[in-house]
Amino acid sequence: MALLDMKGLTKNYQLGKVIVRALRGLDLQIDKGEIVAVMGPSGSGKSTLMHILGALDVPTEGKAFINGKDLQQLKEAELVVLRGQTVGFVFQTFSLIPTLSAQRNVELPMIFQGVGKKERAKKASALLAGVGLADRTHHKPNELSGGERQRVAIARALANDPEIILADEPTGNLDSESGEAVLSLLKGLAKKDGKTVILVTHDPEAAEIADRIIRLRDGCIDTRKPKGSLNREGESYA
Amino acid sequence: MRKFWDFLQLAGQSILHRRMRSWLTVIGVFIGITAVVGLMSIGYSFDKTIKEQVSGVFGVDTFIVMDESTFGPGAHNGGGATEYALDLDLLKSIEGVKVAAAVRERTGFVQGQPKADGTVLQGFLPVSGLSPELMTEFESFTGKLEVLPGGRLFEPGDIDVAVLDFEISQRLGVTVGDTILVAGDGDAELNLTIIGIMAPPEAAKEDSGSGFGMQFSGGSDGDTISVPYETMDLLWGPADDVLITLVRTEPNYNVDEVADAAEKALNDRGSEISAITYTDISETIGTMTGIISAFLAGIAGISLLVGAVGVMNTMFTSVLERTKEIGVMKAVGAKNSHIWTIFLIESGLMGLVGGIVGSAAGVGLSSLGILLINRLTTGFEVVSVINPLLIIETLFGSFLLGAVAGLWPAWRASKLPVVDALRYE
Repeated sequence: MALLDMKGLTKNYQLGKVIVRALRGLDLQIDKGEIVAVMGPSGSGKSTLMHILGALDVPTEGKAFINGKDLQQLKEAELVVLRGQTVGFVFQTFSLIPTLSAQRNVELPMIFQGVGKKERAKKASALLAGVGLADRTHHKPNELSGGERQRVAIARALANDPEIILADEPTGNLDSESGEAVLSLLKGLAKKDGKTVILVTHDPEAAEIADRIIRLRDGCIDTRKPKGSLNREGESYA
Repeated sequence: MRKFWDFLQLAGQSILHRRMRSWLTVIGVFIGITAVVGLMSIGYSFDKTIKEQVSGVFGVDTFIVMDESTFGPGAHNGGGATEYALDLDLLKSIEGVKVAAAVRERTGFVQGQPKADGTVLQGFLPVSGLSPELMTEFESFTGKLEVLPGGRLFEPGDIDVAVLDFEISQRLGVTVGDTILVAGDGDAELNLTIIGIMAPPEAAKEDSGSGFGMQFSGGSDGDTISVPYETMDLLWGPADDVLITLVRTEPNYNVDEVADAAEKALNDRGSEISAITYTDISETIGTMTGIISAFLAGIAGISLLVGAVGVMNTMFTSVLERTKEIGVMKAVGAKNSHIWTIFLIESGLMGLVGGIVGSAAGVGLSSLGILLINRLTTGFEVVSVINPLLIIETLFGSFLLGAVAGLWPAWRASKLPVVDALRYE
């Protein structure tokens, strides 16, 4: 079974009196070690898909298996454990806790998992060194550049050694140089460490590191041939 | 527990990050705590001071017998003691009683010495019967009774003698060695030899000590004729006019038990009295000061309520502006209970800091208040006492106050759906 296995995924939202059909029967399998880019226009269901892939939300209909576990069968507390241990998030706006130093931000997921203080500190330092921020550990987010913040966020996503890294527009708020650094880090995670990396992005350059690009349109996977430069060999349309 | 310390740190850092707002919130709590601790400390100091003074008078082995309506629950306390019947010999015979001394009072017809011009002053005057032991054994109650040089106070065995207040001795024109006539019930009348004149108030006061001594009719001012207790029997028969009786117990006897036994024995004999020990008085004082303290603290508590609402308001604001942060924490593995705990600790901490600052300020306030009270009053020195238990309770209570005020906001924070919280901008 694939690491992430989505079958007939449907998600409806109630927005006031209107029911929004964000996902409409989507099938998707993602294997371990893959880099997958999820692309599509606003409102195509990218965020909703990412929430389900990250165990933040459960589908209205269909099945979502993460690491063999059926999300709909899990209680809220079990979902928390699953995402705490299996998924690491990287957000477009970095979403670091402003009151905490880089070091403490990276420790945060480990605090919730009950990891001991010494072990935590050691691991956080190693992770920050891994993203090239060994000398910035005690800086607060507002003392770091955008690229540095996103690298802290990547280190935080790796804190509990998850199998899946979910990155939502990770380069959206970065200049091209910082963006490239972040992308190469994410690529390295998949290629060297065997992590599964899922990128939700608008950025064609970001999508270039992907093994596979999934295009969403109106809550379904868009199987039409894309136009322009992204049409290159090796792309699959799922 | 390990997580608790981490959460404490997270909460602390969040408070420090919003320094201005946190301090303003803390000030709201601290004003209330200052008022409560200040007023309760003043009350406590009063309680301690009064009890110490009373215990200084009573000692550990003394009780007093009073009319049952004079003391205790339902006492009218209209002014002074009510007279009661007493069998002093029975009281003295009770096991454990070492000394008993009583005061009874009547108004009697008194006639002085004929003056040089042949006139004789006479009239109805208060006559007090005092046990000789009153002067020798119970000085802490009576204060130091002093007679003018050349005179003396009563001794055991005295019968046909009297000690006069200074003022009445002047008016009657009598001095030590003279006799006066006192008439009692029926035909009973006695010629009493004056053995002493009480020192006038000015002279006596200088050595009157704490000023807490009980004022008897036979004190050092006024127009009372004092006679030995037994002499009253000859004039007015068995005592049904006793104002107060003081009893000292033998060593190794429990004063409360002896007092209970005495009360029962005397009431069985037809008296209607209460035997009051230091324990009883101390309880009554405690109840009174307790009620006053609670009343004052209750008023101060209103400002504490305002402080708590301030904490709640701050926490709601905090939850709202940290919605995204809460979403992120949940995304990286925080359980609802973790979020709840962090916010609760945060609000509790604000309460606790308010409690610490407020306790210190409250102790200062109470010291200042007592200084002022002592400055404004004379003859009663309140000793400023800090009650450690009150401080501990306050610190604990202030943390609890903050935490309770934060319950609702923290619950709201913990229940935020993670997806909505992450979307929040």
